Amino acid sequence: MSLAHLFRPAARSPRIFAPRSPAHTCRTYAVQAPGNPVMEIFNRRTKHLQKDRAAHNVEESRKTDYIKDEVATRLCERLLDIKRDFPNVLDLGANSCNIARALTMPDPDPDSPTGSSPPLSTRISKLTCVDTSPALLYRDADEPFNQQMSLTREIIPDLESLPYAENTFDAVLSSLSIHWINDLPSMLAQVNKILKPDSPFIAAMFGGDTLFELRTSLQLADLERRGGVSPHVSPLTDVRDVGGLLNKAGFKMLTVDVEDIVVEYPDSFALMADLQAMGENNAILHRELGPMSRDVLLANEAIYRQLHMEEGARGVPATFRLIYMIGWKEGEGQSEPLQRGSGQLNLKDLLGGGEFQGGR
Amino acid sequence: MPSSRTRPIEKFARATARCSTEAAAYGKCVVADYNAVQKGMCAKEFLKLKDCYLAAAKKA
Repeated sequence: MSLAHLFRPAARSPRIFAPRSPAHTCRTYAVQAPGNPVMEIFNRRTKHLQKDRAAHNVEESRKTDYIKDEVATRLCERLLDIKRDFPNVLDLGANSCNIARALTMPDPDPDSPTGSSPPLSTRISKLTCVDTSPALLYRDADEPFNQQMSLTREIIPDLESLPYAENTFDAVLSSLSIHWINDLPSMLAQVNKILKPDSPFIAAMFGGDTLFELRTSLQLADLERRGGVSPHVSPLTDVRDVGGLLNKAGFKMLTVDVEDIVVEYPDSFALMADLQAMGENNAILHRELGPMSRDVLLANEAIYRQLHMEEGARGVPATFRLIYMIGWKEGEGQSEPLQRGSGQLNLKDLLGGGEFQGGR
Repeated sequence: MPSSRTRPIEKFARATARCSTEAAAYGKCVVADYNAVQKGMCAKEFLKLKDCYLAAAKKA
């Protein structure tokens, strides 16, 4: 077969596309130029199913609420520092309304001058709890704390697009949910939009080194047993990035702080079973489907103990690193940070000696 | 899931717990050189651990 045969000239001479009538000159929709690329890390549908499934087992789900309840309580303590009433509050990604439960706790202020303080819920006229999973959100709808404050539950299809009007809420709270958000910058910008001017966004999320023990031991087990690594533990936001993220979303007067909660488990299986019961199992988009192989699980248990168990400890530790963040929507009359270098007082004189004095 | 029925993972955990010596040997082997882990590096130790686990699982 000759080359000429392969590259045969077109049978017809090239046609000139001359408009036959004016009607043909109009342009039609072809393709939309994409905006910012949206990172897809987590499978939202998978996460939704995992949360739903976990909550259907009410007993186990309640038993494993220890982290969520603890963090919700610590998050709500931050409200003690803000001396104002909040008529309309949103709890974004409410899980089982752990924040509402924490808000109704009696006597939240340990430093109260009168010795007792009313529950925080007395300062909140209306709390809206939203989440994607109905089973989890309504799990505790019959509990007594529901009667102690005005609470509305709402199911929204997606935490990443909030169906609320601008300037709606006097505060937005969020506890242990936004680590599953794919597009955190966009979500934070939306939160900033739905807040009223000079209103706070207070959130807690898992970050950075959360579950680093499990991450590393699973990597080693995967490597040794199968010769490669597959993602088992979510990538998480680093503390250093949170300030930038809030700033970019338009928040002012940022406070970001970190706290580690280390929980001891009898073995790595108990940790993984608990994570599953919390609905916090792996939902990475490119994760391997199906259960982990028993060989890897067995290897992981041995490596986890060897690598992370402390001398004399009864169980294996698991670290949960919590990032707490507070950002305020810009508003008139809001206090602003002073110019850099304009300080007149030396903090060392103020706090005394340069030695660390405080510490509870 | 009702707690009356033992979940597979609990059985798995219990059987594994009986093999702490083998597990420690395997763990030490991997962790000894964790910057250069290769597939099958500790195959011998792992097989011992797995044999022990299988025997323990059968007993339970």
